[in-house]
Amino acid sequence: MKYIVAGIGGQGILFATKVLGHIALGKGLPVIGSEVHGMSQRGGSVISHFKIGDYQSPLIASGDADIFLAFDQSEALRNYHFLREGGQAVINVEHPAELAHPRLQDYFRQRRITLHALDGLGLIREHLGGKFLFLNVLILGALCGAGVGNFSRDEMRQAVGELAPARFREENLKGFDLGYGALAK
Amino acid sequence: MSKRMVLLGNEAIARGIVEAGCEVAVAYPGTPSSEILPAVAKYADELGTRTAVEWGVNEKVAFEVAAAASFAGKRSCAIMKQVGVNVAADALMSVAYFDLAGGFVLVAADDPGPHSSQTEQDSRSFAQFAKIPCFDPSSAVEAKHMVFDAFDLSEQYHIPVMLRPAGRVNHCREDVELGAVRPGDHPAKFVKDVRRWVCLPAHVRLTHPQLNAKNDAIRQDFESRFGAYNYELAAKKPAKLGIVAGGVSFAIVQDLLASWGREDVAVLKIGTPVPLPEKMVMDFISRHDNVLILEETYPVIENQLPDRTKVKGRHNGFVPRAGELLPEVIEELVLRALGEPGVPGASPELKAALEELQIKPKPPMLCPGCPHRASFFAIRKAVPSGIYPSDIGCYTLGVNQRMVDSVICMGASVTQPSGFYLAHRVDGKEQPLVSTIGDSTFFHMGIPGLVNAVYNRHAFVLAILDNSITAMTGGQPNPNVGTKLRKGDVGARVDIEGAVRGCGVGHVEVVEAYDMASGEKAVKAAWEYAKAHQSPAVVIFRHPCMLLRCEQEKIRVRVDEERCVGCKFCINFFNCPALVFDEGKNKAVVDDRFCVQCGTCIPVCPHGAIVRVSEEA
Repeated sequence: MKYIVAGIGGQGILFATKVLGHIALGKGLPVIGSEVHGMSQRGGSVISHFKIGDYQSPLIASGDADIFLAFDQSEALRNYHFLREGGQAVINVEHPAELAHPRLQDYFRQRRITLHALDGLGLIREHLGGKFLFLNVLILGALCGAGVGNFSRDEMRQAVGELAPARFREENLKGFDLGYGALAK
Repeated sequence: MSKRMVLLGNEAIARGIVEAGCEVAVAYPGTPSSEILPAVAKYADELGTRTAVEWGVNEKVAFEVAAAASFAGKRSCAIMKQVGVNVAADALMSVAYFDLAGGFVLVAADDPGPHSSQTEQDSRSFAQFAKIPCFDPSSAVEAKHMVFDAFDLSEQYHIPVMLRPAGRVNHCREDVELGAVRPGDHPAKFVKDVRRWVCLPAHVRLTHPQLNAKNDAIRQDFESRFGAYNYELAAKKPAKLGIVAGGVSFAIVQDLLASWGREDVAVLKIGTPVPLPEKMVMDFISRHDNVLILEETYPVIENQLPDRTKVKGRHNGFVPRAGELLPEVIEELVLRALGEPGVPGASPELKAALEELQIKPKPPMLCPGCPHRASFFAIRKAVPSGIYPSDIGCYTLGVNQRMVDSVICMGASVTQPSGFYLAHRVDGKEQPLVSTIGDSTFFHMGIPGLVNAVYNRHAFVLAILDNSITAMTGGQPNPNVGTKLRKGDVGARVDIEGAVRGCGVGHVEVVEAYDMASGEKAVKAAWEYAKAHQSPAVVIFRHPCMLLRCEQEKIRVRVDEERCVGCKFCINFFNCPALVFDEGKNKAVVDDRFCVQCGTCIPVCPHGAIVRVSEEA
């Protein structure tokens, strides 16, 4: 399974892939991935590649990802090309009108891409006192809520609890549950 | 008792360093190498080794400290990014000739892309230049194994050995096996021998041939003894293409061939590119009519081939000579080498949507609340007609505020104003000059330039942006901070102001960076002093980096829509991620996702539109 996670520096993308790695390793699955550190972390576009299974390289080619998580709508647009035909995307959306763009809709249709969109920032403003740092766990919750990927809600929730620093544990779990609830059917 | 963990490539390398029994590890931070040394300290603490772990003030210092520990018989290593090797090069070129005692490994992390560097240079070329052997890992797991072999090889031939991970290895995350510290005793014992340790020309006439002989012997070893790193993945069917690959490119090729299920492509993996196991590569080439070479970033393997007639590589322009060899680039190269149709490119619909929606990559910016932003703004107000040289660090992003006019490399913010000063002085002109440099960079290489400017009487203002950390690379301590990495290890703080005065600078003023009015006044006064005394003057802007999350007053702000005229002055000259422009309304707005309530933007607006939100509101 190949994941691409995209967003802006400072949104906690590295923590999201850390959670995925933690669960996979616990199940004895080999993992490999690639992160961005350094200058790009300063508020610029950040992208993380993550693969579970028997792979040698940490990178995913354009058109080859199974799952795409995007913390930011513009970064989502710039990185949809990573998705394979029939791939699934979990997207934090701020401007829903943009998603309705006819060419974009054509693209989703032609490549049979399933989009799971949620207003993560709105949820955080309403329920988590505007602490946007928890967007990463919210997206992980949404991933489980949408039934995408190979990990169950319980596995993911437990991993978030284990990896979060003790003083932020409760809020991380709350963020996760918010995301789960937003997309669970 | 082995255990597996998902580690960053840099943590895997660090683990290898500690398990290999390295007892002196010195580094200067730089992406993509920065996480190695803190991980060395962490594992040394966990495993209870005696390893000395230190940040050197620059890469030359780090290299020399580690090298001398090897003279004294210890296993040691120096860790840096590729451009750091340029700084350490003087020492590297000499030490290569030495007949070392303890194993000595240089970890040089390359940055194809580049993602966070000023060059795309290939450290393997440096290994070749210095005539030292080089290991080029394709994965985190392999990098860790190579650390052991690098130390062993160094001890066997008494030669420095380079481990050259490219950034994708440094920053890959992979499950890695953790082991125990390998047994081995390397007591500190320096055996005096001037022919061995003093690089007099007379000695070099003996040691240079010795170095050549070592290279010949190591090349033989690489031909035969290092099958774990140099091996062929034979094609099951008659091969239509033979690929010679090293580093991350090898891993990408493997995944690509596996996903295609192709059995008609043979691959020769080269993990020891310098000195090249030439017979092995030429034998592979002789057995294939069609050969592609994939390596990053320079043609190091390719350059060492005695005959390149059959080779598709960089010499005949087949492989791009710049940029990262990403999976899609390699996919295209392999198909083209096979003479087969390429994969369809990006979807035209998606491309059109991106263009119509005007989606562009988000460039890096200084963090919200960053003190540098306020410092730059104050400098512009004080000396609006200045030339503003700068340096390597977060503050290079002052380019977004149009406050960075030229950057070369670390320390060059102190020397460039000297050049600008002289260029204008010979024409009889006076040119205001204000340079910016960070605290860590000042200690790294700023001091010689400052002494030079005092001695030669160059008039300019040097603004030292002191945020009490090496921020860009993730927050490492430096002499200005005084802390060290290992538990219980205590450092001493070196005072910047004292160091500046010690260089002979007669005018030094320290200001709180958030206080832009004082900053402006201080820069004006410093420039007046510089002109009057024909001498550099220094202003130290001080405020801790936001990433240190120090407690500070929270000042909520908003943009008053009545007063905002949509001039974008705040966007263009203050450039905070939390101040964005709403094109629809033609007004600036505060983005609550990013605002950290530092309040520094309030005095920025010429129309007074950025206002404090009163507590009762």
